[in-house]
Amino acid sequence: MNDKKHINIIARENGARMETRVLEEKVQAAVADGYRRLNIDAFGQHGIGGRLYKAGDDPVTIRITGHPGQRVGAMGFPNTDIRIFGPASDDVGWLNAGAHICVHGHAGNGVANAMAQGKIYIEGNIGARGMTMTKHNPRFDPPELWVLGGAGDYFGEFMAGGVAVICGYDAQNPDNVLGYRPLVGMVGGRVFVRGAYHGYSDTDAIKIPIDDDAYDWLNENLKIFLARIGRDELFSDLAERDAWTLIRARTPMEKKGRPLRTMTDFRHQVWDRELGDGGLVGDLTDIDRRPIPLVPTGELRRFVPVWENRQYAAPCEATCPTGIPVQERWRLIREGRIDEAVDLALSYTPFPAAVCGYLCPGPCMTACTKQTALIEPVDVSLLGKASIHATGPEIPPTGETRIAVIGGGPAGLSVAWQLRLKGHDVVVHDTASRLGGKISSAIPSLRIPEEIIDTELARIRDVIPHVQLEQPINADMFNEIRSSVDYTVIAVGAGKPRTLPIPGRERLVPALDFLSQAKTGRAAVGRRVVIIGAGNVGCDVAAVAHQLGAEDITLIDIQAPASFGKERAEAEKVGAKFKWPCFTKEITDAGVVLTSGEVIPADTVFVSIGDAPEIGFLPDDIQTEAGFVGTDPHGRTSAPDVFAIGDVVKPGLLTDAIGAGRRAADAIDDIIAGKRPAGRLRPVIDTRRVTLEYFDPRITEYSDADHCSSQCSSCGTCRDCGICVSLCPQAAISRNVIQTDDFEYIVDADRCIGCGFCAAVCPCGIWNLVENNPLT
Amino acid sequence: MPSNRKITPSTLSVTDLPWQILWDKDRCTLCGQCTAVCPVQAIEPAVFRKRIVNTVLNVTADISDAHTVYYGIRQKTDPAYRCVGCATCQMVCPNDAIKPARGDDFDKLRFHMNRGGQPRRRGGRRNVPGSLLDRIKFIRISMLTDPALDAGRHEFELRTLLGRVLPPEQNLAFLRENGWIPPVREIYPLIIGGMSFGALSPNMWEGLQLGIAYLNEELNMPVRISTGEGGCPPRLLRSRFLKYVILQVASGYFGWDEIIHALPDMKEDPCAIEIKYGQGAKPGDGGLLMWHKVNQLIAAIRGVPPGINLPSPPTHQTKYSIEESVAKMIQSMYMATGFRVPVYPKISATSTAMAVLNNLTRNDYAAGLAIDGEDGGTGAAYHVSMNHMGHPIASNIRDAYLTLVAVGKQNEIPIFAGGGIGKTGNLAANAAALIMLGASGIQIGKYVMQAAAGCVGSENDRCNICNLGLCPKGITSQDPRLYRRLDVDDVAQRVVDLFLSFDTELKKIVAPLGRSTALPIGMSDALGIDDRHAADRLQIQYVV
Repeated sequence: MNDKKHINIIARENGARMETRVLEEKVQAAVADGYRRLNIDAFGQHGIGGRLYKAGDDPVTIRITGHPGQRVGAMGFPNTDIRIFGPASDDVGWLNAGAHICVHGHAGNGVANAMAQGKIYIEGNIGARGMTMTKHNPRFDPPELWVLGGAGDYFGEFMAGGVAVICGYDAQNPDNVLGYRPLVGMVGGRVFVRGAYHGYSDTDAIKIPIDDDAYDWLNENLKIFLARIGRDELFSDLAERDAWTLIRARTPMEKKGRPLRTMTDFRHQVWDRELGDGGLVGDLTDIDRRPIPLVPTGELRRFVPVWENRQYAAPCEATCPTGIPVQERWRLIREGRIDEAVDLALSYTPFPAAVCGYLCPGPCMTACTKQTALIEPVDVSLLGKASIHATGPEIPPTGETRIAVIGGGPAGLSVAWQLRLKGHDVVVHDTASRLGGKISSAIPSLRIPEEIIDTELARIRDVIPHVQLEQPINADMFNEIRSSVDYTVIAVGAGKPRTLPIPGRERLVPALDFLSQAKTGRAAVGRRVVIIGAGNVGCDVAAVAHQLGAEDITLIDIQAPASFGKERAEAEKVGAKFKWPCFTKEITDAGVVLTSGEVIPADTVFVSIGDAPEIGFLPDDIQTEAGFVGTDPHGRTSAPDVFAIGDVVKPGLLTDAIGAGRRAADAIDDIIAGKRPAGRLRPVIDTRRVTLEYFDPRITEYSDADHCSSQCSSCGTCRDCGICVSLCPQAAISRNVIQTDDFEYIVDADRCIGCGFCAAVCPCGIWNLVENNPLT
Repeated sequence: MPSNRKITPSTLSVTDLPWQILWDKDRCTLCGQCTAVCPVQAIEPAVFRKRIVNTVLNVTADISDAHTVYYGIRQKTDPAYRCVGCATCQMVCPNDAIKPARGDDFDKLRFHMNRGGQPRRRGGRRNVPGSLLDRIKFIRISMLTDPALDAGRHEFELRTLLGRVLPPEQNLAFLRENGWIPPVREIYPLIIGGMSFGALSPNMWEGLQLGIAYLNEELNMPVRISTGEGGCPPRLLRSRFLKYVILQVASGYFGWDEIIHALPDMKEDPCAIEIKYGQGAKPGDGGLLMWHKVNQLIAAIRGVPPGINLPSPPTHQTKYSIEESVAKMIQSMYMATGFRVPVYPKISATSTAMAVLNNLTRNDYAAGLAIDGEDGGTGAAYHVSMNHMGHPIASNIRDAYLTLVAVGKQNEIPIFAGGGIGKTGNLAANAAALIMLGASGIQIGKYVMQAAAGCVGSENDRCNICNLGLCPKGITSQDPRLYRRLDVDDVAQRVVDLFLSFDTELKKIVAPLGRSTALPIGMSDALGIDDRHAADRLQIQYVV
């Protein structure tokens, strides 16, 4: 070095401070001129000693006396060695790219900021933000900062490489040689510290043990540092291994957030400890509040399927006034138990063939669920006709209760039949010579073969042996009968034809009279017939009149005719004309004179505007309403021992009369047993529960009972098809055999999630998805 | 429901509904999870008929016509079972076979949400997406003009004051005369607003409280939470955590006898007492907790028998004027806690808010004013109240602040803004905008439900069935089968996450403004908006 040219530069001109630019020009010019040793007497000029690349690889030494300004050695090159004999201002070695800078004194803020190569030696303390933003470019050795004393605040922020060594010797703050909040954002490099410090950014940096390699490096370079600053005597003190701490940047993998307590630990250790077991509301409830999944099973299901077999009546059963469970009969047929299907009806009606097979308009079929989707209902008349062969039920012995039934028509025979089957002693009284009421006496044989009626009546006589025929009923007789029994049922029907209060009314032939005479071959009719009242009875009259030779048949009514079904069809078939509105003024030998003046020619004029009960025999304690007997829903009259059923209560279909008989029998049986009459009706099923998609909508007629039974949706009664078992996604449903001939479907609550597939797919609407019981 | 049926005026098709279920037959495994989980039973398993017809022209050949069925999922169209778009079905579907989609036509359901003459009620908030607050920009960036702060590196002390800050001479006079000055709390400027125990499920409520306790005790963030008006669990009242709680009293006065009974046992004073006069979601209307939601637990906390209706009338029954409300209620509530706890009213934003504020300026006890804007949420309200009643928060806060400036008390009575802050997710930006418009702090509710518990409700009328107690996330339900879907610890952790991230974002906003230790309350020179009218109204800069 001594052989290099050297130059002294005094950074003052005429006693005044030389501008930084001018000094820089002088320095650069000197280096360009081959000077390799520059002694600068500084006077606050900035950036002295940087960028001396014009020397090529030649070492250049800068010795600074006086007072250098900021950024000594900024952008220094590796060939440059700078020595400051005294303290230095801010930003020593800023962006240093290789210079060795030695400060024989303290240095200000920002020492080594953004330094990438080179070494900085400080003989005293440094200010704030030392060693910040330093880099280590792998092409070069890492930069080093050596500080004999301590560092100021915010040391090492965003330090990204290099080595800092803080010796803590005679530090400005011996209690904290690293200053306030050091190493925030540090991502690279390492820091040796000797002395006390108050933490560093734990998220960015980590303290590591000083291994032998690290110590050897420290030892070796400490000697160099001390030699450079001329403090070799400190070596033995400073080299003491145990006094040193080594901190390095955490790797990206090691980076961690603030070391936080887990929430669960906080809840256990802090929250619950302050509040008590169970936390916030542990004192108010012991309900389990632990987390559950979205689709739980068991008691945590929101919905639960319930197998409601036979809880609801099918619409057919519910609509049948007699209450026959039609769907049960189809079930028996599906199960091959045809005889039972046929016999079943006898539990409900003594006239399963006559009524269900022939005479009933079939409300059950009208109500059939399949009608809601415009699918043909199954044909119950097939089953009805087959019932002619039904075997009568077993007849229990009679008890002590005696019941008289006044009237042997459909209502009277129904109640008597049911009471006898329940083991009561029944006597039927009728004014006619033959049982059956209107079935025997008034319904044309066109509509039903006589042998059907005979067969069913014979079956009835087997069940009800006590029958008093041709017994006129008057007040005395009624009282006598009533007083001889425990209960009396009035089922005398409506036998008194209504007529019209008009001139010539004596010429009117009551429909009922005509029909019953026709049944016994005693009726005659003219060629031209007018029937006043175009209901179903009028239609029967028309058909029978045609049979007896009438040719020109007219039915008139004051309003659109109420007739329907087979009766209407029969009348239309024989060419009967329907005419309305027609108001009859009088009957003459010419025919029917209307109020309009029109005359409808007639040889015979029938009146069929309904019939009224003949109830003159009733005692005062039985109340009547508008000519009919008043009852409660069970058929009980105002007299507790007297019931009334059938047309004497309210005009209706045969099945209405039969149903009323059955309900009255149930009530009487309940009363005898000391119970309140309960009624036996099940609620009707919501047809939306029934799945009709399984049925072919294009079927228009059924070939036989088997076909019918296969197409019955069995509303409310399980078909035992097992579709629910197949569809259940959880395999939670199984079929359980109860004893030998019954079964149930059960749900494993621990598997069921309450999805509702069972309820949705059930053809019969058995499964119901209900809300689970509230948990509180 | 048969497809061919009698219809009524309210018979709707799927197209008429706002949310339509898209179900993919090919992907469906018929696992039943979607129907099991649907909160409103909008979907059901179903049997579908399939007809397969093979025809040929040759009449002698066999023509086959077979009916078969397949199984799947069907959407109900009865308004009572309408799909609410919550997408819980999609969440449980293992095969991505089902999801709700918004219909592309103007829905017809809205005309039929009044069966029996009962107008629509719902939860959520005003069904109007978007927010003016999002349009406010922070235009004053302190490039070299102020100390350059680094949000990630600098230390911040973002706190606000809740309480009456009297001028020094007045405070000294107070102290001299009374031996007392109004209490003031230094708290975090983001507050969890009042959501009652009852409106929220027990797990949600405890999760929020637990998170708040954690923020205070583990992270040294003095965050506060209002109880809402459903009372406060007795254990909380008697714990040190009460310090973090703002007790709310409202027109229903639920649970207040329990609070009074707890006074002798309180280890800590509550942070403050909030007197609720109004709610932004349903200004001028009250509420009713239906009897079936009043289970044992809620009843115990509210101090009522279970199974009865709990009405919160629109007004306090014995308060007839501002003067009375302010003087009487504030004084009474101060007395309850020995004058150690700040007491302030909360009102819904309204064009008459200045009258209330003026009154408060003359009452040295008034600790602040909370104003809840039109975008506030609620567990149940009439749709018409929610959608059409109320005042936007920005101009109301601005007017209030400028009113205080006019009377020289802008540093004395803190104003707290609530209602739709963070509605579109921009919580910190919205909060900072309101602070710079003049708010001392921000109350959030719905945002917490969304961020901390996964509420799926939206201003596009998604879900919004809080009122039914059928919350698919278990946030607003009292049914353990639903609220056990919510893990208390998870909610608490999310509360912590949301506050930490808010804190960072707030720093990212205020640091470039050169603020690190004082909240920039009323620093409206930092605000700009690209709407001339809004700029004029808010007295901030118009920038394009």
